[in-house]
Amino acid sequence: MLQISELSKVYNTPKSAKGAARGKSEPTHKALEPLTLNVTGGQVYGLLGPNGAGKTTLLRCLSTLLTPSSGTARVGGFDIGQEPEKVRQILGVVNGGMGLYDRLTGREILEYFAGFYGMERSKVQSRILELDSLLELGDALVKRTMDHSTGMKQKIVIARAVIHDPRVLILDEAASGLDILARRALLDFVKSYKAQDRLVLYSTHVMDEIEEVSERAAILYKGRLLEEGTLEDIRARAGEKRLENAFFELVKAEEGRLVAS
Amino acid sequence: MRTHFIWLVAWKELISTWRDKRTLQSTILTPMIMIPFFIIGLPLLLGSLIGGQQLEKQKVGVIGLERIPAGLKAALEGDKKQNGTVISRGVTLEKYSGDPQKAVQDGTLEAVLELPAVLPSTAGGAPVSIKVYAKLSSLRGQTGATSKVQEAIRAYSDTLVKARLERSGLPSQTLTPIVAQSVDASTTEERRSGQLAFIIPLFIMQFILAGGMPTAIDSTAGEKERGTLEVLLVSPVGRLEVVLGKFMAVTIFALLTALASMVGLLLSSMLAGVILPAVLGSGREGSSALAQAFGGNLTLDVPTFFTLLAVALSVALVVSVLMVAICVYARSFKEAQGYLTPLLIVVSLTAVLLQFSDFLNAGAAFYAIPILGAELAILDVVKGRLELGNIAISVVSNILASFVFLAWALNSFKRESVIFRS
Ligand SMILES: Nc1ncnc2c1ncn2[C@@H]1O[C@H](COP(=O)(O)OP(=O)(O)OP(=O)(O)O)[C@@H](O)[C@H]1O
Ligand SMILES: [Mg+2]
Repeated sequence: MLQISELSKVYNTPKSAKGAARGKSEPTHKALEPLTLNVTGGQVYGLLGPNGAGKTTLLRCLSTLLTPSSGTARVGGFDIGQEPEKVRQILGVVNGGMGLYDRLTGREILEYFAGFYGMERSKVQSRILELDSLLELGDALVKRTMDHSTGMKQKIVIARAVIHDPRVLILDEAASGLDILARRALLDFVKSYKAQDRLVLYSTHVMDEIEEVSERAAILYKGRLLEEGTLEDIRARAGEKRLENAFFELVKAEEGRLVAS
Repeated sequence: MRTHFIWLVAWKELISTWRDKRTLQSTILTPMIMIPFFIIGLPLLLGSLIGGQQLEKQKVGVIGLERIPAGLKAALEGDKKQNGTVISRGVTLEKYSGDPQKAVQDGTLEAVLELPAVLPSTAGGAPVSIKVYAKLSSLRGQTGATSKVQEAIRAYSDTLVKARLERSGLPSQTLTPIVAQSVDASTTEERRSGQLAFIIPLFIMQFILAGGMPTAIDSTAGEKERGTLEVLLVSPVGRLEVVLGKFMAVTIFALLTALASMVGLLLSSMLAGVILPAVLGSGREGSSALAQAFGGNLTLDVPTFFTLLAVALSVALVVSVLMVAICVYARSFKEAQGYLTPLLIVVSLTAVLLQFSDFLNAGAAFYAIPILGAELAILDVVKGRLELGNIAISVVSNILASFVFLAWALNSFKRESVIFRS
C-alpha cells in the first residue's frame, strides 16, 4: 500500500527569519534523511517521534504537499511525483489543527470537499448519512462550525477526511487537544478504519496512542528512522517491557552514535 | 483546468464572506450611503454654516464710534438684497474702548474697528487707515464679520472716490480704463464637478479595495491560519483552480462594492439636483460654488455610467488578484492586513494627488499605468473630458496587469516556502 524509497527532505528556507534578513546563507535544514519503508494495507501503522523528528515533513511529502529532495514514494500504487492527483484522490488527511470554515455548517463542509473527489450528489448524501450513524454527527451537520464544541468539530474533521472513503488515511497529531471521550471516539474510529485493506498512518509523539491503535510502528528521531517493526519487536530489540523505555534506549543509542561520528 | 472546481472554490468563499455580518455593510451599505453623504451632505453643511454667517448680524466694536461718518455707518449696518430677498445682513455696531485684541480673542466681539482721530469725508487727502481687528484665518470670520466689514469699508471708500471724480467733472470710469473680463472656458461638467471631483475616484478606489479585502484575506491568510489550506490542497483540486476560484470570489465582492458605489453616485447625482438648490437656494453664490466644488451638480448619463462601470470593473479585477497574490504570503489575518496597508496607502495617495492632475499633462503613458490610469480615467469621466482612447488604455492595462499578478499568485500558491511559511 505504501512504498517509500530513499525519500529525503531538505528545507532550503532559512529556519530563522533573522538569518534571512541579514542575508546570511544559513546551512539548509535536513528535516528527513533518506528513508526507505514498506507498509502494507489493512493496518494502523504508527509513526512515532518527538517534536521536530520529521513526522509532519514525511506525511506532507506522502500527501504531495511537499516535493521530496530525493527519492520517492508510492501510495496505493501511485507515484507521488508522477501521479500526484491520483495519490490525492485516494488519500484522506487529518492534521492536528482541527481547522474548519467557521461560517459553513458541517454538512456544507462535507459537500464542499466531496465536490473535489467527483462524487455524485446522491452518493455524497448517502455517504453523509453513513458517516452520521458511524460518528454520530447529529447537530454538527446543521450547525455552523463556529458554534461547534471541540468534539463536534473533531467529528466533522474526521468525516471530511473520509468523505470519499480513501484507501489511505493519514492522521497527524489528530488527538491533541481532545478530551478523553473525543479521544476515545477517534481511536475507535481509527481502529475500525483499517478494515477492507485500508491503511491508516497514525503519527504522534504520544506512546500510549500508538500502543492503543497499532501493531506496527516506525520510530523517527532527528530525521532518521531508528527502528521499524511490530511493537513487540521494537520492545524486544531494545530489551524493554514498555514502549516508552524502548524509545528512550533507542534515542540514547542514536545520540551516542551521533557524538561518536 | 476544471471549471466546476473553480466555481466550487469560489462558492465557498462567497458563502463564507456573505454570512459575515459586516459584509453587507461594508460592500453595499457604506458606499451607497457614504457617497451621497459626502457629495450632498458636505456642501449642505458648509453651505448652511456660511449662509448662516451671512444672515447673522455679528457684533462689531468700534473705537471712536462717535466719529463714524454716516455713509460708513450705513454701509456697515445695511442689509444686502437680491431680487427682494436679503442675502447678507449688516453688522451691529457697538461703542468700544477696551483692548481690541482681547475682545476678539475671547469672542465678545467678532471684530473691532479702530477709527483714526480724523476720518476724511472726501477723497483726495492723505490716505488714512481704519484698523480691523479680527481672526483673519478663521473661516467663520472670512464668511462673516471680517468680510462684511472689509467690504463695507471698501464700498464707502469707493463712494468718496466717485463723489470726488464727479465734482472734478470726470466720469466714474476714469479709474478703471481697462478691466479683465474672465470667461469660464471649462466644459459644463468641469464647471459642475469642480476641484474636489477627485473625491469620486478616491471613493470608488477605496470601496473596491474595502469590498474585496475581507474575502482576499480570509481565503488565503485566513485559511493558512486555520490550517484548512493544507487540507484543501491535499484534495484533488489543482492550485490554478484554487487561485482562480479565490480570485473570482474576491473580484465578485470588489465588483459588488464598485456597483454599490456607482449606485451611490447615481443617487447623489439625482438627489443633489433636487436637494441642494431647494435648501441652499440657487441664488446664493457661496453655497452653489461649494456645491459645484464637491460635484454636487454632477450629472451621470447612461454612457457615462457604463464607461465608469467598465473602468471600475477593470480596477476590481486587478486589485482583487493583487490582493490575493499579496495575502497568500501572510501567515495570519493580522499579517495580511499589514501587508495590504501599503497598497491602500498608495492607491488613496495617488487618488488624492489627482487634484493636481491639471499640472501633469496626462498623456497616454499615464493611462497605461495600472490602477493610476483608471483613477485618471474616472476623474476624466466625472469632469466630462471623456476620451475613449484613454479609457481603453487604462482598462486594457488593468486587464494585462491582472494576468501578470495572476501568474505571480499562482506561482506563490505552488511554492512550499509560501504555503508552509513558518
Ligand atoms: N517549512 C519549513 N521550513 C523550514 N524548516 C522546517 C519547515 N517545517 C519544518 N521544518 C523543520 O523540519 C524539522 C522537522 O519538522 P517536522 O514538523 O516534520 O517535525 P515533527 O516530527 O512533525 O514535529 P512535531 O511533533 O513538532 O510536529 C524541524 O526541525 C522543523 O523545524
Ligand atoms: Mg508535526
